[in-house]
Amino acid sequence: MLATTLEARDLTKAFAGPPLFSRLSFRAEKGLVAVKGRNGSGKTTLLKILAGLAHPSSGSVSVRRGEKELVGDDRRLAVGWSGPDLAFYEDFSALENLRFFSRAAGRPAADPDLLRSLEEVGLAGALDRRVGAFSTGMKQRLKIVFSFLFDPPVLLLDEPMIGLDAEGRSIVERLVAARRRGGLVVLASNDPRDFANPDQVVELGK
Amino acid sequence: MTASKFPQSPSPPVPQSLPDWETGRRGDGGSRTTNSLSRAWAICAKDAAQELRRRIAIASIFFFAATSVTLVSFAVGPFGLPLEARDRVCSALLWIILFFCAATGLPRAFVREEETGTAFALRKVAPASLTLAGKTLFNYILFLAIAAVTVPAFAILLEWRLPSAGALAAVLVLAGYGLSVVSTFLAALVARASQKNVLFVVISFPLLLPLLLSAIAATVEAAAGPVPATPLRVIVAYDGAATCAAYLLASAAWED
Repeated sequence: MLATTLEARDLTKAFAGPPLFSRLSFRAEKGLVAVKGRNGSGKTTLLKILAGLAHPSSGSVSVRRGEKELVGDDRRLAVGWSGPDLAFYEDFSALENLRFFSRAAGRPAADPDLLRSLEEVGLAGALDRRVGAFSTGMKQRLKIVFSFLFDPPVLLLDEPMIGLDAEGRSIVERLVAARRRGGLVVLASNDPRDFANPDQVVELGK
Repeated sequence: MTASKFPQSPSPPVPQSLPDWETGRRGDGGSRTTNSLSRAWAICAKDAAQELRRRIAIASIFFFAATSVTLVSFAVGPFGLPLEARDRVCSALLWIILFFCAATGLPRAFVREEETGTAFALRKVAPASLTLAGKTLFNYILFLAIAAVTVPAFAILLEWRLPSAGALAAVLVLAGYGLSVVSTFLAALVARASQKNVLFVVISFPLLLPLLLSAIAATVEAAAGPVPATPLRVIVAYDGAATCAAYLLASAAWED
């Protein structure tokens, strides 16, 4: 199986004022990349750029499978993302949300598979509840399911532990540990406990 | 499909049906088209389910339509108009009502995604062109539903006799499509603006004016009897141009 490589080249992002980060480059294909930095250093923006949800002011991001650069849907679904800005349809249940996203992505998933994913993050007891009635921790768990939805070789997790209880933290830690052994996890956080021996560190706002 | 989306073993699970990024293959054109249609339909069905669960938005559009038709019928009809001006005035009033009903409901397609924060999740799973197609489809169905209620009520209350219901239906179907495409595209464009409602009306006025003038001209001709060939051709050309422009610019309007 070909390895998937994520490469950022000379990334610069500026809104109004000085750039958040400038000429940032890194390349990774396996393991855990820790994105560190103080508040406002651009961690969330960097992960959105890597996820294809925002454009850099200059520089580029490529996702390659072997020698082939992924574009369009291949790229979109090869990179899983979860972050503070991710929200779900509050009138729908978690299952309805996941069912919709899998259909809209063109990779419809069977309900038993989606239910199993929800069970694995401890949301089995909330299947009939609207997402609008979820607690912050439950929404965070659903975000983790969303990021894994298409079994992506590259996983971008922005503050994945926020709002989680001890059980939730341990679920995410287990998932990240398993994923980093065979794929790539890029994890941004302010809490050093979230990174267990990262293979690479990207420090922002130095 | 994997048994579970989560990694159970040291390496990520291998799906039985490998995604394209694993195999490097491209799907055939036919299945990709079918896939695109089903994805756009999924977005349309999601919007419909959301609106039907909330009900308030759809109810307000139909309430607006009912109020407008009732007010117009009391103010000008059925005997307040000279016979020779009736078709022209009724056509104009009908399209004014339809336009404002549409302006009440159609921009919600994208605005709600931004306001509720679901835009990022939607952008992560579907390209802008498919999102636009799905939302245009929902808006088109909504417009046709509004027209199906408004036009008969308007015709009855103003005692406006139409010799060719088929011709009027063709005008509504074709002009309604253009109205839906342009309104949905503009909704994507203004969704992140602070004054989105004002911006929508201001931008939509010049863009929709040619369509609305042609729709009124076509309705006047349809009311007189013959199929309004010339204005219908203009509307079809407008629909084609609007579809191409919206498709080409969808990404610029909806993505960052």
